[in-house]
Amino acid sequence: MADDDYNEIDMGYEDEPPEPEIEEGVEEDVENNNTDEIPGETIETDDKEEQEQVEGPHKTSKFMTKYERARILGTRALQISMNAPVMVELEGETDPLEIAMKELRERKIPFTIRRYLPDGSYEDWGVDELIVEDSWKRQVGGD
Amino acid sequence: MFFHIVMERNMQLHPRHFGRNLRENIVSKLMKDVEGTCSGRHGFVVAITGIENIGKGLIRDGTGFVTFPVKYQCVVFRPFKGEILEAVVTMVNKMGFFAEAGPVQIFVSNHLIPDDMEFQSGDMPNYTTSDGSVKIQKDSEVRLKIIGTRVDATEIFCIGTIKDDFLGVINDPATA
Repeated sequence: MADDDYNEIDMGYEDEPPEPEIEEGVEEDVENNNTDEIPGETIETDDKEEQEQVEGPHKTSKFMTKYERARILGTRALQISMNAPVMVELEGETDPLEIAMKELRERKIPFTIRRYLPDGSYEDWGVDELIVEDSWKRQVGGD
Repeated sequence: MFFHIVMERNMQLHPRHFGRNLRENIVSKLMKDVEGTCSGRHGFVVAITGIENIGKGLIRDGTGFVTFPVKYQCVVFRPFKGEILEAVVTMVNKMGFFAEAGPVQIFVSNHLIPDDMEFQSGDMPNYTTSDGSVKIQKDSEVRLKIIGTRVDATEIFCIGTIKDDFLGVINDPATA
C-alpha cells in the first residue's frame, strides 16, 4: 500500500444507535462471525480532542463492519470520481464505485479506520488489516 | 522586526493531488496560500523556509477532501512601536508622506516632520529644509521610527516619525 499513513477515514453518523455489545471471544470466531454486531464503528473525529490510542494489540473485531465497508467504498469512490489516483490496475472499469470495490478487494485503499470505543479511546485499523465480507457473509478478496 | 518561527496550519487537499507527490503538493499549496499574507498576531509571512512535519490526514465528511496538519518554519515580519526602520517614500502631500518598508505602509504626518522642513507643492511635491539641503520626495529613502501601529486581522498599518535624532533622509535619488 503506497502512502499508507496519509489519511484516516473519519466520517460517521453521530446519531447512529450504539451497536449492541457482544461478549468477549467472538472475534476469534472466524468462520461465522456476524459482521452486523461489532462494537467498533468509524466515528467523527473532526474537531473533537482525541483521547490517546488504546495500547497493545487490537481488541475490536478484525472484521470490517458493513457500515465501515459502505463508508470506505463511498468515500473512496467519491475521491476517485474527483480524480484521485487509482491504486489498482484497471481493466476497462469506469464506474468509481466499481473501481473502489476493486481497490478494496485488492486491499489497496489507503485509509485507516479509527474505531472509537465507548470510553472515548480508539483503535486504528488499516483497511488492509481487516477481513472484508459481503452481506452474504462470504469473505471478499484478500487472503 | 523579523522572526523565524514555527507555525501550524491545516491544509485541505483535493483528491486529485493524492498519490506519490502528495507531500510536494501540500508544500506548494501551503506556499501559495501563506506567503505574502498578513496576520495581526504574527505579522507578514515573508517566506516559508522549511517543513517540520506533515501530520496524519483526516478525511472530510462528504467532500472527499483530506485535511493535513502541517508544521512549517517561516520568516515573518512584524513592525513594533519604537522600532527604527528604513523605508522608501511613496507619496508626499501636505498632510505628510507615506513610506513603504517591504509590505508595510507607514504614514508620517507633517507634525512628525522636523519643524524646519516645509511642504513644497508642484508636480513633485516634497518637504524641504529652508536652506534646501535636505529634501524628502517620492522615492527618497528615509530612516524613521514607528510610534504607532494599527493591527487588523489581515493588515498592519503604521504611523512613523522622523522628528528625532538620526532620523530623516538617508539617500536621496535627486541629489545622489
